Amino acid sequence: MMAIRELKVCLLGDTGVGKSSIVCRFVQDHFDHNISPTIGASFMTKTVPCGNELHKFLIWDTAGQERFHSLAPMYYRGSAAAVIVYDITKQDSFHTLKKWVKELKEHGPENIVMAIAGNKCDLSDIREVPMKDAKEYAESIGAIVVETSAKNAVNIEELFQGISRQIPPLDPHENGNNGAIKLGKQTSQTGGN
Amino acid sequence: MADNLPSEFDVVVIGTGLPESIIAAACARSGQRVLHVDSKNYYGGNWASFSFSGLLSWIKENQQNTGISDECEDWSKLILENEEVISLSKKDKTIQHVEDFCFGDQDSAENVEEAGALLKLPAFGASDVDGVAQESEKECTPMENTLAEVESQEPEKAAGTEPAGTVEGSDPEITTENESSQSTAVGESAPETGSAPSESSAQGPKKITYAQIVREGRRFNIDLVSKLLYSRGLLIDLLIKSNVSRYAEFKNATRILAFREGKVEQVPCSRADVFNSRQLTMVEKRMLMKFLTFCLDYEQHPEEYQDYENSTFAQFLSTRKLTPSLQHFILHSIAMVSETECSTLEGLQATKKFLQCLGRYGNTPFLFPLYGQGEIPQCFCRLCAVFGGIYCLRHSVQCLVVDKESGRCKAIVDHFGQRISANYFIVEDSYLSENTCTNVCYRQISRAVLITDQSVLNTDAEQQVSILTVPSEDVGKPAVCVIELCSSTMTCMKETYLVHLTCPSTKTAREDLEPVVQKLFNLNAEKETENEELEKPRVLWAVYFNMRDSSGVEKKSYSGLPSNVYVCSGPDSALGNDCAVKQAETIFHEMFPTEEFCPPAPNPEDIIYDEDEIAPEEAGLSNSTETKPESSTEESSSGGSTAVKKEDNEE
Ligand SMILES: Cc1cc2nc3c(=O)[nH]c(=O)nc-3n(C[C@@H](O)[C@H](O)[C@H](O)COP(=O)(O)OP(=O)(O)OC[C@H]3O[C@@H](n4cnc5c(N)ncnc54)[C@H](O)[C@@H]3O)c2cc1C
Ligand SMILES: Nc1nc2c(ncn2[C@@H]2O[C@H](COP(=O)(O)OP(=O)(O)OP(=O)(O)O)[C@@H](O)[C@H]2O)c(=O)[nH]1
Ligand SMILES: [Mg+2]
Repeated sequence: MMAIRELKVCLLGDTGVGKSSIVCRFVQDHFDHNISPTIGASFMTKTVPCGNELHKFLIWDTAGQERFHSLAPMYYRGSAAAVIVYDITKQDSFHTLKKWVKELKEHGPENIVMAIAGNKCDLSDIREVPMKDAKEYAESIGAIVVETSAKNAVNIEELFQGISRQIPPLDPHENGNNGAIKLGKQTSQTGGN
Repeated sequence: MADNLPSEFDVVVIGTGLPESIIAAACARSGQRVLHVDSKNYYGGNWASFSFSGLLSWIKENQQNTGISDECEDWSKLILENEEVISLSKKDKTIQHVEDFCFGDQDSAENVEEAGALLKLPAFGASDVDGVAQESEKECTPMENTLAEVESQEPEKAAGTEPAGTVEGSDPEITTENESSQSTAVGESAPETGSAPSESSAQGPKKITYAQIVREGRRFNIDLVSKLLYSRGLLIDLLIKSNVSRYAEFKNATRILAFREGKVEQVPCSRADVFNSRQLTMVEKRMLMKFLTFCLDYEQHPEEYQDYENSTFAQFLSTRKLTPSLQHFILHSIAMVSETECSTLEGLQATKKFLQCLGRYGNTPFLFPLYGQGEIPQCFCRLCAVFGGIYCLRHSVQCLVVDKESGRCKAIVDHFGQRISANYFIVEDSYLSENTCTNVCYRQISRAVLITDQSVLNTDAEQQVSILTVPSEDVGKPAVCVIELCSSTMTCMKETYLVHLTCPSTKTAREDLEPVVQKLFNLNAEKETENEELEKPRVLWAVYFNMRDSSGVEKKSYSGLPSNVYVCSGPDSALGNDCAVKQAETIFHEMFPTEEFCPPAPNPEDIIYDEDEIAPEEAGLSNSTETKPESSTEESSSGGSTAVKKEDNEE
């Protein structure tokens, strides 16, 4: 049986750049023009094979807390990767990308895999951010970079495959769990009265 | 990106401490439109936890005592004739007597900066550990990855780039093992540069320098309040019931310790512990088992204790067949009650609670959240946000606007001069002005936080979470609760321990707690010390402060608050969190008597997007091929899951 590894991935980026649309496309292969600003289900999972492992992505969406720059540090805790999204038709969203990277460096875990997604590449005729800028920037911070279209399903799978590949394989000595307890799952041990 | 804040909500919550955050979550969960603000730039108020540099800033801020700048918009024009205002406080005055001490060479840290989370690209030429240089080079390789290159890489590429202790959630204890073979944890820390050379790990515990603490500052999550979760306490129940538990992970407290006759010893409390104990005689083992078994259902045996109902628990214990050391264990470490004030019944109750909490998650009754207690309010805030709550940190509120006729609060005015109306207002005590609080009498909590280099009780296993109660030498003075956290709780750097001391204040925190610190620790980091001192852990850094305890203040003590304004208190001095949970539930039910308090949030696997719901909207709008909307069907192990419709945005 292939080992399943749960990998937390958090999404960052300005409101409206298409974070939820990217997840929606990836997880459900579905796109909705009238998607509402994220409220409600801010968490989705999808499992993909990677080498001889299965990667179960636990994808956290921002739940709107980023709107007024109030993301909680717990949002980043334990993330294996972060997808930072900008809108190629909005120079502003590329500028703020850098702020998100800074924030990640401050609050995110070490060794987090960073992936930059220049979304809405179906709208390249009104593009404001040249691919070259994004590539250069990504290189300077050691991130993967892709241009995506959640609308036309371009490079979405590839984005997550790229992340999968950057995730170091599980150390055989580890059981993937740091001895931490998740409540709700009945982990009650014996011992005691 | 900062769109304008809506100006109408159902509930406005001011302060992001634990009770406020639980209320915010409960309200959003039951469909209320919630605005949740905090004047600070971090979550949690006095329940927050900080990185080392974050704590240093917090200390500075509280020592300087400067007010928040007064550049607020004028709001007088926003107030109508039939309204009056209740001003809120401009400055948090809940922290006093902050004193910090560094016991190492502070100068060496002058130019050291806290390392960022991610290694920066430039190569680390200065690195003096071969392995590190190599590894960081490897880490740099994937950096040119644009997609094209990623595509061309075969999976085995990844195999070469594995840094130790990468993904969080990897076993910290294993990382420790790795580390012991090499003085710097690879991938764990930015490689050493300049001032503090990594000492060769030849013998004994390594000397951690202040510079290292500063550089590894992000490893610290230092709580302002020190608490544990009783495994059958109200907070655990609420976390599980509401599904907020999915946002957090916990470690079991691994040991209960006692301090007796100048020595720290482990208290056996589970059946297995008692039997395995080497410090107890056979007779003592039998005595202890017999007594603990009695406590578990003491109600059934009133004849055993009814003669002592008017005595203290300590007196009652002295009449049982228990040796002095057993009496000490039970009184201070298991019941954790006062020698002079606790009645027999209270003591029996406390003992029973302790015993009932054993075994649910491990050998002690307590859990501690990874990354610190400060995570818990954030978890509730996330639930609130997931259900539509709007979050604004760094957002002060100038005043509450009250309708003169009805006496109800109608709105707030924020520091931008925006008027925001709501039906209910939750305000944390520290936001209330002196005028409102003139008749309130507050208690204080004394706190100390130490960074040390060893555990107070060294054993083979380094990674221990211990709780120790140190009774006062002065009769009648409260005992000091000591919680020692190891690095696998993600609250301190490797090779250090984070020690929290707490007691209800009688004087300043330092006066209250320093005697205990001196008993347990070696404060003379640099000087040659006697052998006995050498065995004690060294304190590398310490801070003392007093925190206002606003728990237990009745609403009527506050002057002139409208009935739809509810006050939440800051942290109390008790070990558990029951007080905050009770308060949140009470306030929620006063506002919404018929609503359920924090019912479970649906699991994502259980949220099945109803195809019919999506299809009509999608038709014609999307050129994508029709797809199966259920997510991750291939793994949905949730066989009989109920279909829950996605909560839709109300706005
Ligand atoms: C709005 C919303 C937001 C969410 N946000 C997050 C989030 O941010 N982060 C997050 O991690 N999760 C989030 N979740 C969901 C969360 O609880 C996931 O189900 C969980 O994190 C995935 O891990 P799991 O192993 O518990 O889940 P599951 O996939 O449900 O469980 C894995 C396996 O364990 C089994 N199992 C589960 N519970 C038990 C049990 N008690 N006893 C025995 N076996 C059991 C299951 O049957 C299954 O086989 C969110 C859910 C919602 C609705
Ligand atoms: N043309 C085009 N539009 C897109 C694409 N991705 C998203 N959109 C549209 O952009 C808008 C915003 O998308 P969301 O997915 O809600 O963006 P978000 O980043 O999740 O926004 P918040 O939840 O508010 O932070 C929606 O109207 C989407 O339909 C894309 O690839 N191409
Ligand atoms: Mg969204």
